[in-house]
Amino acid sequence: MSAKEIVLAGEDGRSPSREEERERIEGFQSGDIEAFEELYERHGPRMKSIAWNLLGNATDAEDAVQEAFLKIYRSAGTFRGGSSFSTWAYRVLVNACYDLMRKRRRRQEVDDIASVEHPRTPAVDHPLRVALEQCLARLDPRRRAAFLLFEVEGFTHKEVGEILDVPEGTSKNLLFTAKRELQGMLWKSQAASASAP
Amino acid sequence: MTVSCRDLQEALRTEEPALLGEIQVHALDCERCREQLRIWKEIGEAAPLLRKSWESQDLWPRIRRSLEAESAKPSRARRLAILFRLPPRSLVPAAAGIVLVLAAAAGLLVFRGDPGGRDPLVAGAWRYQDPLLTDEAFDEVEKREKAYVASIENLARAVRPRLEAPVSPLLVSYKEKLLLLDGAIAETSGQIEQNRYNTHLRRELLAMYAEKQRTLQDLMKEEQS
Repeated sequence: MSAKEIVLAGEDGRSPSREEERERIEGFQSGDIEAFEELYERHGPRMKSIAWNLLGNATDAEDAVQEAFLKIYRSAGTFRGGSSFSTWAYRVLVNACYDLMRKRRRRQEVDDIASVEHPRTPAVDHPLRVALEQCLARLDPRRRAAFLLFEVEGFTHKEVGEILDVPEGTSKNLLFTAKRELQGMLWKSQAASASAP
Repeated sequence: MTVSCRDLQEALRTEEPALLGEIQVHALDCERCREQLRIWKEIGEAAPLLRKSWESQDLWPRIRRSLEAESAKPSRARRLAILFRLPPRSLVPAAAGIVLVLAAAAGLLVFRGDPGGRDPLVAGAWRYQDPLLTDEAFDEVEKREKAYVASIENLARAVRPRLEAPVSPLLVSYKEKLLLLDGAIAETSGQIEQNRYNTHLRRELLAMYAEKQRTLQDLMKEEQS
């Protein structure tokens, strides 16, 4: 199973059947908290990761995930299909992160990802990972989200488009622009460190 | 085909294998392109390392508590009843009455064909040939609603500093009422986005804005007295 299939299926790697998906959606729409617990178990870790990378710290990330669940709970009844429920849930999450960013900007809080806590990463800290994280924090939020969803979390462009509410082609463009900007920033920083005495 | 440094970005954008292959050949003799290609490749390789993972033992219990609190909250109908000081059951006949009046008004306007209608929300529709509401007419209605909402938001901005740090129980209750109204407005606006032709929801939303306007005006009067 590819990384992208795992994303669709959730953490356990198994794709739900159409019948299971329909039952789950009915559970969400009837406000069954157990259905939300299952959603959290399957997608919570990925939701936290996306929120952390958009907001820059674990506290805000957890607040955004909590807010997203509340919004999903309140508006599950308005879900009309067109995408999978989990893709829709990620869309609610990304919007909750944007709301939190706006609130934070209004409060004039410092948004410096480089200076915040770093949770456990898969390997021994990698200099390129640190540099990439710092450059990513300087990107426009939509480009950052497209990069995170596609390159970091493994969603397809179709899913990224559904999550960001843009056409698939726009998702490709956002990703390309994000990577080009990251390339420029990394190139400059590497050139600067190479020329330093 | 001969490629140059200028083709690098195009090759990376389209990811066309033939063009990428030619750029890689070009990069053998061009240090700048070689470096750019290396960084591009490294970005893709390092990206999965940005995935974050940490234990949050208390997150699900927190979410569960907030969902349970949400399910225990009164329904929207009950909240509206509280806001408008009506018993919840009276909302159904009240809503039915509003719908009946609206239907009668719409019928009069359509069948009389009177372009001199005074309702600012529907007057714009007469500019169009079709007597029934069209997308353009709805755009006009939405434009007017936006102007109305903007004027209420201006009022809200004027009182915001006092509400941020309420100094009396009265201000606290005004603040709570406004928060409740804002929540109901956001929820109804979300539902209207799903169906912009739902007149009932639109009327409900306008009623909420009218209540918000009254509340803000009362608050300003209280402050002045």
